Amino acid sequence: MDGGRNGGRERVLVAMSGGVDSSVAAALLVEAGHEVVGVTMKTFCYDENQGPTRTCCGLDGIMDAKAVASRLGIAHYVFDVEEEFTRDVIDDFVDEYARGRTPNPCVRCNSNTKFRDLMKRGRALGCDAIATGHYVRVEHPADPAGGPSRLLRGADHQKDQAYFLWGLPPELLPLLRFPLGSLDKPAVRELARARDLVTAEKPESQEICFVPTGDYRGFLGKRLAPRHPALEPGTIVSLEGEQLGEHRGYAGFTVGQRRGLGGGFPERLFVVEVRPETREVVVGPREALDAGSMVVEEVRWLAPFEGSGPSGAPVGVQIRHRAGSVPARLFAAEAGAAAPEAGAAPPSRVRVEFEAPQSAVTPGQSAVFFDGDRVLGGGRISAASRSPLRRPPSPSAHPR
Amino acid sequence: MNRIYLDHAATTPLRPSVARVMAQVALETPGNPSSPHHEGRMARGALEAARRRLADVLGVPPGWVHFTHGGTESDNLAVEGRARAEPRGAIVISAVEHSAVRETAAHLAGTGHRVIVLPVLPSGEIDPGALSEALAAPVPPALVSVQAVNSETGLVLELGPVLERATARGVPVHVDAVQALGRIPLPEGVALLSLSAHKVGGPRGMGVLVRDPSVALHPLHHGGSQESGLRPGTENVAGAVGSAEAIEAAEEERPHEAARLGALRQRLETALLGSVPGLRIHGSEGARAPHILGVGLPGIPGDLLPGALDLEGVAASAGSACRSGTTEPSPTLLALYGEGAAAVAPVRLSLGRGTTAEGIEEAIPRILGVFERVRAGFAGAG
Repeated sequence: MDGGRNGGRERVLVAMSGGVDSSVAAALLVEAGHEVVGVTMKTFCYDENQGPTRTCCGLDGIMDAKAVASRLGIAHYVFDVEEEFTRDVIDDFVDEYARGRTPNPCVRCNSNTKFRDLMKRGRALGCDAIATGHYVRVEHPADPAGGPSRLLRGADHQKDQAYFLWGLPPELLPLLRFPLGSLDKPAVRELARARDLVTAEKPESQEICFVPTGDYRGFLGKRLAPRHPALEPGTIVSLEGEQLGEHRGYAGFTVGQRRGLGGGFPERLFVVEVRPETREVVVGPREALDAGSMVVEEVRWLAPFEGSGPSGAPVGVQIRHRAGSVPARLFAAEAGAAAPEAGAAPPSRVRVEFEAPQSAVTPGQSAVFFDGDRVLGGGRISAASRSPLRRPPSPSAHPR
Repeated sequence: MNRIYLDHAATTPLRPSVARVMAQVALETPGNPSSPHHEGRMARGALEAARRRLADVLGVPPGWVHFTHGGTESDNLAVEGRARAEPRGAIVISAVEHSAVRETAAHLAGTGHRVIVLPVLPSGEIDPGALSEALAAPVPPALVSVQAVNSETGLVLELGPVLERATARGVPVHVDAVQALGRIPLPEGVALLSLSAHKVGGPRGMGVLVRDPSVALHPLHHGGSQESGLRPGTENVAGAVGSAEAIEAAEEERPHEAARLGALRQRLETALLGSVPGLRIHGSEGARAPHILGVGLPGIPGDLLPGALDLEGVAASAGSACRSGTTEPSPTLLALYGEGAAAVAPVRLSLGRGTTAEGIEEAIPRILGVFERVRAGFAGAG
């Protein structure tokens, strides 16, 4: 485990969701001799989700986190970030679906709410470091002046969660500790069992925490205005504009999906595009999902940007959770201004050209840029282009 | 790091004398007070002796003293018990009541019972116009319930006018005196009075409801005739004896202890005011009980300070804690100070028997250090 940079005993704030991962993270830090402070963020109102909560964010999660903290003999506090969470995560989730896109609320939460708040509260509590149970690694320079800390994929690529963390505030990186970064899930469960933690057998949360039932449409129905266009019936059209059927509202359709289109089509059809302005859902054959390039916005950087040249920067890019990265070239997007010079502010909007076409590049989802296992940065996909690849002048360099 | 306990309004350490008498009773009187045999009579004897002791301390007949399972239960019994006894009369409460009264009233309102909330001025005066209006209803209220000392601010509510005017209208008054016990003189002439033993070194889980038997009250529990039928269930004899011991001791010590705690509180308050810009002192517009210092820090989240103080070895509390441990904006502070109250982070520092001058001197730099760090962490951080 990457203990403190000064190797000494630190006061470490651990974000405890009440799940097995953060429970074990806290236990490992205690065993490493740190003064561990457990914190659970109360992110949304429980009253909206009646009945037993299965996920980490419910009241059960808070109680489980308290039980684990008590077992470990550490302090534990609950902080209420409901207001920020609603504004930054839930409202964005609803807006994005209303715009016909497919959001990553966990990314929003990590980027804007959870870690910023942990940092502020950690400072206020006199903590030296902040830890979570994410399956990622962070490498700190031995000498604090020895360059930036590096965020890396978890050693277990099956469980790796780097995709969700590209939006971390860079100034937070030096303070971060990820005790599970070198472990895999079975090992973590085993550690939890060996320590008799109540969360050891807790099931993995599969759904978004604030929609534990997985019924996005029902959730959006409660949040959007009653006759919002996203919930009104519309047409399913082919790429050529031919009307093929009807849908009950475009909210919730995701590029690449097959289910929910209704049957009776002569060939296997996939959602290719959602057009909120006309309430049309465009469908086509699998090949129509292929994209050669995409535009990524709201980009944040955890490493220096090196794509200002004419041939762009070779990177690995990951466009969905658990997908792994694929080779691509990254260019500062011509967003009205000239491409930034070296030393200028890194671009917040980039164009990504894939080496090979990618299927179902989905607006709203995150795109994360890698150099090997190292996270360079990421952003939100705003548009995909089916147009043929524009070959860069020097195609020899290959991403590591 | 040594701990400095400044949360005596939440609970207090058990007095050794109380632990001793409780252990003795628990071991030596094994019977059920309702049983018709020697062992039962022994237990009954101990229970009734405790009741007589409390009656002496409180200046009421023994038949007025009822043991309950805590201050919250006493409040529930008084408020809901009166509502059941007089279904047509309104329940009138002040706007700064403890949740045991406030939420019981809200529950009753939810079942269709008429509930009236009286505004409280920062001075501790109950809005006289609202009181007049409530008392003037064609069907008189079933109950007026007003706290003696507010638990978050230490504010002493002006009970005199309420008692006088409600009594003149024939309306019984309930006083939640949980935070007054052992700190300021208990009110006289009230129909119903709630007390809690563990706020003054008694056992947790024991309360007292003093009741004038001319006031009809319906029980909330059923299945026994214990405590005049108001609180069925086999009595906690050791708890009753421990409660009597603790309450008697606290009331005996009161004049001296109140002066001592008042001086320590003043020292703490002066030190914090002198070093923390913008610090608010809650309850300072009126009379305050000597053991509570409620302060408000502007510009920081309300749920942060107790944890930050805890990590520096100081036990304190924020507003009223909810089940998950987060804090909601305090209804009391909102009622006293309006929406501006929501913009400050409340901290309640409360003193008790174990608080010493040395402890206060040690606590001051720790508290100031935490306040400064927390403000620095949030100032300009967006």
